[in-house]
Amino acid sequence: MSKEILGRIASTGLSGMKKAELKKTFGKNSDNILQKLIDTKQIFVEKKGVAYFVWTRGNYVSYLSQNDPKCKIVLSMAVGKSHSAAKVKEYVNNIGETVNKIPQQNVASQESDFKVEFDRRLTESSTSIGWAPFSDIRKKICESKKISPENFYYMATELVERHREKYEVSSGGQEGITMRGLVHGYVRNV
Amino acid sequence: MYAYQLENNPYPSSPTPTEKDARILGGKRHKEAKSAILECIKELCNKVGGRDSNDGDFRVITLIQDVGSGKTHLALHIKNLQSRHNTVCTFLDLSTISPKTIPSLYNAIIKGFENEFFVQLRTKLVEYIRDRAEQGDNSAKKALDYSFMNKLSGLTIKQKVEEIISGKASVSAENLKKFLVQWFNYSESNLIRNIITNSFDTVTNLEELLGMMATISKLTHRFLSKIVLYEIDEFDGNQDSIEFVKGIINAHLPASVVLLISTPSGYAEIQGKSPSVFDRLEKANYKIDLVGSNSREELLEIVLEYIKHNDKKGKFTQKTQEELDEKIRVLYDEFPEFRSVRSIINILYHAMEKSAELDLEKIDETVIDETIKHTYPGLKVRGSIMAVPISDFISIRRTCEDESTGTQLKRAVTNLVNFAHEMGNIGKLEKQNQPLDVVYQDPYGSKIGIAVVINENHAKNFEEISNISKSSALVDKLVILTNSNLPSSESTIIVNVDKSKMVDLLYFNNRYTDRKISSSDNEKVQMLARTVNII
Repeated sequence: MSKEILGRIASTGLSGMKKAELKKTFGKNSDNILQKLIDTKQIFVEKKGVAYFVWTRGNYVSYLSQNDPKCKIVLSMAVGKSHSAAKVKEYVNNIGETVNKIPQQNVASQESDFKVEFDRRLTESSTSIGWAPFSDIRKKICESKKISPENFYYMATELVERHREKYEVSSGGQEGITMRGLVHGYVRNV
Repeated sequence: MYAYQLENNPYPSSPTPTEKDARILGGKRHKEAKSAILECIKELCNKVGGRDSNDGDFRVITLIQDVGSGKTHLALHIKNLQSRHNTVCTFLDLSTISPKTIPSLYNAIIKGFENEFFVQLRTKLVEYIRDRAEQGDNSAKKALDYSFMNKLSGLTIKQKVEEIISGKASVSAENLKKFLVQWFNYSESNLIRNIITNSFDTVTNLEELLGMMATISKLTHRFLSKIVLYEIDEFDGNQDSIEFVKGIINAHLPASVVLLISTPSGYAEIQGKSPSVFDRLEKANYKIDLVGSNSREELLEIVLEYIKHNDKKGKFTQKTQEELDEKIRVLYDEFPEFRSVRSIINILYHAMEKSAELDLEKIDETVIDETIKHTYPGLKVRGSIMAVPISDFISIRRTCEDESTGTQLKRAVTNLVNFAHEMGNIGKLEKQNQPLDVVYQDPYGSKIGIAVVINENHAKNFEEISNISKSSALVDKLVILTNSNLPSSESTIIVNVDKSKMVDLLYFNNRYTDRKISSSDNEKVQMLARTVNII
């Protein structure tokens, strides 16, 4: 029942709940439970007008910080600066995380785009035995993606190395990716 | 005695395969390619069986793959099987013929056949003349140099022929020529005479060369009921090679299969230099695809096949096979140098020799380490800062996927911080504060917290990292080492610990715990500490 009472009190937020209403809902037995909650500082009771109101700990602090002038002053003096700094820090963190995620998402999508384009050009350029010169694929991709040959070979090397089971390269040719000190100018899908 | 109680080293040592080396063929892809070639041979044998061959009985097979992928090995393996498949085979390596003149090409073709082939054909041809002589053909008798005196002395034609076959008597070259022109065309007469007298004329032009090749095929089919397999290796954009192959394809050699072996770059050269030959190759009857011939699984199968083939005592059990398998996987993954049939066979040849030298029962990490040190000095594990020896690398790498890796890494990081403290790179160490694994002060007094989050399940990593990030307020800088690829944030520096960094850390930890960090290691360890943001 203790959990139910706490939940009910929490649901009333900053306005709190009349103690009398709680008794109506949960019966006279709730008195003992309320007392235990008060003792353990999970709830707080305060007289407003003629009625006693009950808050959960967090809601009570917020209620005081918004309605009690003394509390407002003390709070602003004690935690004002650090509180603001914490808020700024939290804000910066959030922005930082968002900013960090963008390049990562971009990199992932860039890689995926490159792979799709690479596979398409490989299919277009390959002979009946499946092999295609890197130079043909490079020309087409550099033109369509507006990237430099260096960038193309950087990405192609990464792609082939990452998907070793999907691509096969062969030595020879005038340009290509370098493996074991040899220019591998031909590629195909496995 | 070699590892696995083998009496001989099962691996070949030559950089290019020999016919003897090629007796063993392993690997799914290579075996599939072999089946395809044999299928082509079988189909042609069935077609020409029991009838005369004609120019429609000609097949072209192309075999195109990168250098070191096992093409030549496969071709020589097929050559070794010739007696089982009603085939005679000649192997011609174009790279060994220079200049590629017509006489040198013809010479290489003749030399490419086994001696046994000419012995068989010679016997059949002499027996053919014998049959004619026994039927009363005087011209045949003269060809066999069977004289009236022979008859008077009681020597039969059959006995005379046996003497010729065994080399005790010889034919009459002049009369043989006269006999042959009655029954055979010009090329056939010349070739038969050459075979019987064991002396080959030179040919001077492509037409003659193709004529002789067609004759070899025709006579082989007629007298031995076999087809001829011409294996032509290292076919590329060389103009003489192109002309030669173009001639062969256009000549439609009867009862023949031509196996053309090239590389993708050679194939591209041919495309550039001779569109007509390229077109003919594109229309080959069989295009043997060795795709994936250098894949890890294929190489593993090939490597194991050599040992299995030589394992007469049954010592190469499933368990030992799996152990070797693991080591080869690491070699393949970490060293691009060993990602071809040729290179992996080479390393295992040396490893076997080493095992015999050290009298070891199996190929273990130490043997591989020793072998690599001797045969590939200077070879480094990719990305290793600690210069981890291959043997340690293989054994640590194997445990990297254990559940205990996370705990071991936490210990390694703690020890790395201790080391940095001992070296004076960082300030005082502070009491561990969960969930952080280590807390210390940097030289400027800032509080640094390090947490290690290593799980197989990356979702679990995200959850843990998210929880630990809440502790950023406890320190001035929070560093999280993880195997998940995540970006750093303002409050938390994420360090991605990949396999090589993991091995470095674990290797350092072993050395540190065993008090084996020498002064020469200090710089490497400091570098390692830098890469994980400890200093």
